[in-house]
Amino acid sequence: MPLTVVGTSVPIAHGIEKVNGSLTYTINLELPGMAHVKILRSPYPHARLVRVDAGRAERLRGVAAVLTRDDLLRWDIDPYYGPMVRDQPIVAIDKVVYAGEPVAAVAADDLQTAEQALDLIEVEYEPLPYVLDPIEAMRDDAPIIHERLREHSTGFEDVKSVHWGVGRNVCSYSRVRRGDVEQGFREADLIVEGEYRTPVQQHCALEPHAAVARVRDDGAIECYTSTQNPSIVRDGIAGIFKLPLSKVRVMAPYLGAGYGAKTYLKAEPITCALAKKLRGRWVKLVLTREEVFLTVTRHAAIVRMRTGFRKDGTITAREATAWFDAGAAADVGPRTAKNGGYSMCGPYRIPNVKFDTYNVYTNKVPSGAFRGFGVAQVSWAYEQQMDEAARRLGLDPLEIRRRNIARDGDRFSTGQVFEGVAFSECLEAVARELGWDRPKPAPRGTKSYGRGLAVTVKSSITPSMSSAMVKMDEDGSIEVLTSSVDMGQGCETALAQIAAEALSLPLERVKFYPPDTDVTPYDQGTQSSRCTFTVGTAVGRAAAEVREQLLRLASEQLEARVEDLYLEGGHVVVRGAPERRISYEDLIRRKYHMRVGTLVGRGELKTEGGLDRETGQGIASAWWLQGAVGAEVEVDTETGAVRVLRLVGAANAGKAINPLLVEGQIEGAMGQALALTLYEEMVFEGGQVANPNFLDYRLPTVVEAPSELRAVIIEKPHPVHPYGAIGCGESVVPPTAPAIANAIADACGARVISPPITPEKILRSIREGRPV
Amino acid sequence: MKHVVRLTVNGAEHDLLVRSEETLLETLRDRLHLYGAREGCGVSVCGACTVLVNGEPVSSCIQLTRLVDGGSVETVEGMASPDGTLHPLQEAFLEHGALQCAFCTPGILLTAKAILERDRDIPEEELHDLLSGNLCRCTGYEKIRQALRAVRARL
Repeated sequence: MPLTVVGTSVPIAHGIEKVNGSLTYTINLELPGMAHVKILRSPYPHARLVRVDAGRAERLRGVAAVLTRDDLLRWDIDPYYGPMVRDQPIVAIDKVVYAGEPVAAVAADDLQTAEQALDLIEVEYEPLPYVLDPIEAMRDDAPIIHERLREHSTGFEDVKSVHWGVGRNVCSYSRVRRGDVEQGFREADLIVEGEYRTPVQQHCALEPHAAVARVRDDGAIECYTSTQNPSIVRDGIAGIFKLPLSKVRVMAPYLGAGYGAKTYLKAEPITCALAKKLRGRWVKLVLTREEVFLTVTRHAAIVRMRTGFRKDGTITAREATAWFDAGAAADVGPRTAKNGGYSMCGPYRIPNVKFDTYNVYTNKVPSGAFRGFGVAQVSWAYEQQMDEAARRLGLDPLEIRRRNIARDGDRFSTGQVFEGVAFSECLEAVARELGWDRPKPAPRGTKSYGRGLAVTVKSSITPSMSSAMVKMDEDGSIEVLTSSVDMGQGCETALAQIAAEALSLPLERVKFYPPDTDVTPYDQGTQSSRCTFTVGTAVGRAAAEVREQLLRLASEQLEARVEDLYLEGGHVVVRGAPERRISYEDLIRRKYHMRVGTLVGRGELKTEGGLDRETGQGIASAWWLQGAVGAEVEVDTETGAVRVLRLVGAANAGKAINPLLVEGQIEGAMGQALALTLYEEMVFEGGQVANPNFLDYRLPTVVEAPSELRAVIIEKPHPVHPYGAIGCGESVVPPTAPAIANAIADACGARVISPPITPEKILRSIREGRPV
Repeated sequence: MKHVVRLTVNGAEHDLLVRSEETLLETLRDRLHLYGAREGCGVSVCGACTVLVNGEPVSSCIQLTRLVDGGSVETVEGMASPDGTLHPLQEAFLEHGALQCAFCTPGILLTAKAILERDRDIPEEELHDLLSGNLCRCTGYEKIRQALRAVRARL
């Protein structure tokens, strides 16, 4: 049957609320008697916490409570949290490990009072030596940041292959060994070697983190929070406060974006702890922009890569070491590093690989999940190496990629066989759209023009699990219950479309229930681009269960075999006799002999996989993110100024549930990645963030956007998803930066190996004739 | 110290008692429960807090309320007609997918409205210059540009 809803660009859900300002974000929530929170943060990157005295602050009129380590030690809780390593205290206990770490928190009747109270908290620090670079942090003389490494008790299955605490300040380590790299290098005619660095950067979701919580008299916790992971936050809070999950309720209103910044525990622990102190009273925390910079960052990384190429451009071997900068807490870093690490092969056939990846603590703001998840940091290296090899072998950059690109049947670095991948289609699409074969614009005055390509592969958390429920009401309308969070990507719209299609209902009869862990079933998180595939499949299966029930009811009532029935327009119809039909409403009413009743369907998807600890071999991903980007740039060789004129991105969506929304993801990913490539860097001075605000950390405006920003949707379906869809929200983030770097090199020869690609770096590279 | 201030917001008159250092953003959100303007940066760079004061786009996060006493404020809540008909800009943004998380959307809509009402045929480059005080991190700006191109004919 032809699709009627899936595949159409229906308007984004809650569109009217979005354009009239009434959409509920967590920051809007006002609850009766709410107390407001302000946090006191450490100015030192590393120090012993000698004394914390909140006495004077507590006595200030209007202050309801002050949270310090005394409370954490007094209560029967586990004050340390973290999704993989429990290395983050709710507020600092014996020491502080980064400038910006919370040391105390005040809840007061209003923000001004809370702010005043911070000045009255007396804190004595004993500064310690600190380290800011991951390679330096591994040296024998580096200060030790976490004396003890505590593992999470309910660890994620995919992280079981990492090695913990291997080396000084090493949080985690992972490796991949396949084939024989030494033999591979012996077969090479050319070896390309280089070091590539990515700085600390920030997600800059426009809505800051916020949480509103209350602890009821029976100890149960209720928390509204701008989170991408309601189920995991519930588990985390329950773990801290030693409560059964049924006593913790997490609700996620719409997010003003996330990009990974709002994964795992962020604003919730402090808010819930203060709520616990103020039994019964709602407590609200909204971070300032500065505080967001001090809460979570994108992993900085250093990649040293050595790749062997034959004369014809085919790759014989790759050896690489990557150091991911975890900052002062692990957060999800062990996975980021593992996944970035094994992705160093790129979407290419490389029979011999040797990868070592370290995830290292430093005294900086903790790094966490960021759209692209470690892959952007490594593709920055490998896609520039492809162009370097092409240049030295006299090959076209498109041609060298064609000769190595992985297709179905080829293997990833972990030995996993690629199935249903469209790397080649994505690459060819951007080359075609960019006009790769057409001559590029001729230089004009000091302005030169260049083009660049990049194609990348990314995994999605595997194993992972999502569940969904579909509840049909007595009039045939449905509610879709999942713990997926809409942060603008449109998952609510897409999941509603899937349910509507599966049950042949108009969208007006489909309601997407907002995530609420008391009601919506477990979801591992709206991250890793996994919602459309994993939750979408779960929703499809839940809808199928409801369909089965409708068909069985209709089979009785229409006296037909189930095989002869189909769904259409809210009715069950007999094949070949369309006048014999009955609406869902009538089916249910006839079942109960009155207008009452509910049908419920449930569905889930748990994907399988796992890697060997020593060789990194095994199944890395249930499905792959496939993306390519082509860039055309203008470089002023006198000033070093760069303008990105055109960016074309292609991603495999499997099947675009909503093409307009998929385009939005591809375009938005390129826009964000362009900003990261040209403008963004968090600067540390004396261990403190020197530019934690939008005046000094500049984001591009509409003026800097390329004149042409185009999305191409590739559809090579995946067999598991009911409509063949896979995710692509992150797909074109990793290829954007190297495509731009390659275009700049093509324009003027400048090779910059560390973003942001500033005019100064371009001029230096031109002048010095070497990578900068 | 508190000040008595009269503001006309979306056509409705309000007499308010505000703090000396209270910003227009705080007044609109905390006292009048108008949530369309929001704080994204606190330093008037991101534009998420943009409202129109006497027809001009203003960063309400740094605008002291007492200094706009007697003024007329227009927020995104006042853009649609009383019967709920969306403004052509709002419609164009929805039609072209020019929003995702929509945190920046009210600010962009109001700024664009002010610019285009003054000069419907303003050259695109100038329009973009005047919109450089409104950041968007989700869309890459492409569909916002398309929506703005399409809407001119309907204004």
